[in-house]
Amino acid sequence: MRAVLRLALLQARRDRAVLAAWILGIAGLGYAAATAITTQFAADTERAALVAVAAASPAFLFLRGLPDGISFGAVTFFQGFSFTAVLAGLMGAFLVVRHTRADEDQGRFELVGSTGVTRSAPLQATLLLGTFANVVLALAVAGGFIGAGLPVEGSFLAGAAVGAVGLFFVGTAALVAQVMPSARTASGTAAALVGAAYLLRGAGDALGTAELSTLQVTAAWPSLLSPIGWGQRIRPFTEADPLPLLVLAGAAVILGGAAVALRRGRDLGASYVAANESGPERARRGLVSLPGLAWRLQRGSLASWCFTAAVMGAVAGGLGPVVRDALAGNPALMELMGRLVPGEEAMVDLFTTAMLGIVGVLAAAAGIQAVLRLRAEEAEGRAEMLLAVPASRLRWLAGTLAVAVITTTAVAAAAGAAAAAVLTVSQAGGSGAGTVFAAALAHVPAALVFPAVTVLVFALASRWSSAVGWGFLAVGLVLGQFGELLGLPVWMQDLSPFRHSSAMPAEAFDPAGAVLMAAIAIALAAAAGRLIRERDLAGY
Amino acid sequence: MHTESTPVVHTSRLVKNFGRTAALAGLDLTVMPGEVHGFLGPNGAGKSTTLRILLGLIRPTSGTARVFGIDPWAEPVRAHRDVAYVPGDVTFWPNLSGGEVIDLLAGLRGGADETLRRQLIEEFDFDPRRKARTYSKGNRQKAALIAAFSRRAKLYLLDEPSSGLDPVMDAVFRRHVRRVTGEGATVLLSSHILAEVEQLCDRVTIIGSGAAVESGTLAELRHLTRTRFRITATVQPDVLAALQGFHNVRVDGDAIEFDADATHLGAVLDALASAGVTGITAAPPSLEELFLRHYSDQPDGQQTQAQQAPAEQTQAQQGQVL
Repeated sequence: MRAVLRLALLQARRDRAVLAAWILGIAGLGYAAATAITTQFAADTERAALVAVAAASPAFLFLRGLPDGISFGAVTFFQGFSFTAVLAGLMGAFLVVRHTRADEDQGRFELVGSTGVTRSAPLQATLLLGTFANVVLALAVAGGFIGAGLPVEGSFLAGAAVGAVGLFFVGTAALVAQVMPSARTASGTAAALVGAAYLLRGAGDALGTAELSTLQVTAAWPSLLSPIGWGQRIRPFTEADPLPLLVLAGAAVILGGAAVALRRGRDLGASYVAANESGPERARRGLVSLPGLAWRLQRGSLASWCFTAAVMGAVAGGLGPVVRDALAGNPALMELMGRLVPGEEAMVDLFTTAMLGIVGVLAAAAGIQAVLRLRAEEAEGRAEMLLAVPASRLRWLAGTLAVAVITTTAVAAAAGAAAAAVLTVSQAGGSGAGTVFAAALAHVPAALVFPAVTVLVFALASRWSSAVGWGFLAVGLVLGQFGELLGLPVWMQDLSPFRHSSAMPAEAFDPAGAVLMAAIAIALAAAAGRLIRERDLAGY
Repeated sequence: MHTESTPVVHTSRLVKNFGRTAALAGLDLTVMPGEVHGFLGPNGAGKSTTLRILLGLIRPTSGTARVFGIDPWAEPVRAHRDVAYVPGDVTFWPNLSGGEVIDLLAGLRGGADETLRRQLIEEFDFDPRRKARTYSKGNRQKAALIAAFSRRAKLYLLDEPSSGLDPVMDAVFRRHVRRVTGEGATVLLSSHILAEVEQLCDRVTIIGSGAAVESGTLAELRHLTRTRFRITATVQPDVLAALQGFHNVRVDGDAIEFDADATHLGAVLDALASAGVTGITAAPPSLEELFLRHYSDQPDGQQTQAQQAPAEQTQAQQGQVL
């Protein structure tokens, strides 16, 4: 036990900056959401209108969660819980993989294992650290809510709900890390499970039954398959049901226990999903160039990004008929919605527009990830071998950048194609398939600004490229998607590239915004190409 | 233009500072065409920094560096046209197979010589069909060497290339170094294994704290390569100390230790034959020891002249190879 504690302290030390950033970021988001509700929607009637619209719109339900009445706390929880829970899940998943499969990949486990600790001690330490991090997260979120003026008891329960989801994914990732053969596949699988939890909850909520008298919505069964759905069922500011907390914590314990059992029974470096350890004897002609290598390194990730985007696109398209039916079967709702958006066609479009907005964020994230390969190549010493050949740094940079542009475009196209296909098949009405596909692509110019910023930071100071790239995405997301809700000044919202994308098909295409964003992206990339020649290549 | 008499590699008063730390403090290094030049020094002496400057990866703070007469920072593509490089710490793309990595690295330089590639893979007993993440350090080193040697270059920059190789593979490596120099290429071989440098190199530059401490042919540096003996014998230490070729004679428990320079090794062995020896070990002095000897001569740590007599006692362990 002492050894486990010491290892946990060691891991905590390695993680102190990262975990502090995650926890403060998530709690800060919760605080901002709560403040926005209490200030922007101070009057009961305003909140009632907000919730009524949401309750009537499966799009809103899918993206945000379950409305639960109009108290400040309930509205805040409805607006903010799903996103904070996803972030908590990712925090827990990455934390665990970082200290388990990644350490094993890098050979650090071998060193620790050579000392007088049991085989599973490092994993137990990680589970301990993960639990601790989520307890702190729960308290931080609760503190943020209380600070924003929400009821104390409900705030603690809401914080606990976020922490419990994080804890569930600590257990899940621990198990995934035992099963998958590498840190990359383990992180990818764990993150995909977090995404699946969000989507399942979304599907359950969108199909849920609305009780218009109390402005509450009860989720349909798919939500029960999702830990985020379970967290939502706590309804901390109304029913305050602690049972889901116990379910999540119990599941986390079982998953963590299973992971420990698996770790005890397996060889160091072994995995239950076999890694493919053999490859071709010769390289294909296409690999033997800097762009060819960049493509080869990215293509697996590209496929996963596109798959995720296609699922989101299909959901966007597939919920169209649900929207139509919900409206057709409920004249009162129809009337309410009719005052807000003219015509049911427009209603379907509005939903598609909101989903495609998220696709823009996904495309930007994929582009950032593609560019950050440059950083990995440099930090892990491989760039040195590539640049010792008669090839310029500019070509190296340009090859990866081209692949990043392809990645961003392909993600948007995959989502657009899936949405268009499903909408066509379901004949839900709304805009035609061509328009929906174009609407997805309309997000590409703004999304490209993000990889462009990342590559510029890489050219200037590669150490900062990851933090600045992802940080800029977070800022762009908050300013662009939540800026209005948070009541930020328009000029500040306009700093987010996402604000300059055309919100098609609900709005018309605005070429000026697209051209401006494309021009900015090109200018940033050109500057990066110029500056990459000026700096020392980092050693490993 | 580059001719036979101009150096392939030339640095003059090369300085590189990383923040406040000086990695190179005025390094002069000259490598002539066709030679195998040993580049020796302890960890952190600045060997890798020098190679990285020669590759145009980092910019010197001051001083000049030339490869084939070309400034590698200003014109990296031209300077690298005929260069093959093996880094000291080889990392690969985990998902590429060894064969793909070799084809990629050799291909970026213009493509491998198929006969050489086949021959190298066979001699190094390398399995090119496995994913790079499954390779041990030695196997990664082999792949980097195969990639470097499978396309002919005019200059080979090798950064501690044999550190992960077993003795059999080390022999293959040496054979190929001799092959390429036989074909007229130049090799700059960074190492801290004195024995390897002795076997392969025509000329040697020893670097310490970012500057050249010694430079010359092996014969000129012969005084550095003393053999350390440890014997148990009936003879009195004082007797040995008086004989030619015996240096630093001292008593350690019931054993006698001394250093013998190579030129007097015959005389030393003759003397030992009649010294009543019951046990003997001999080891080349470690590089660290050589440096300690150099620096202990001048307490303020300045560079010493090659002619100066080695100092007395050292702390280094016997037989240690850095």
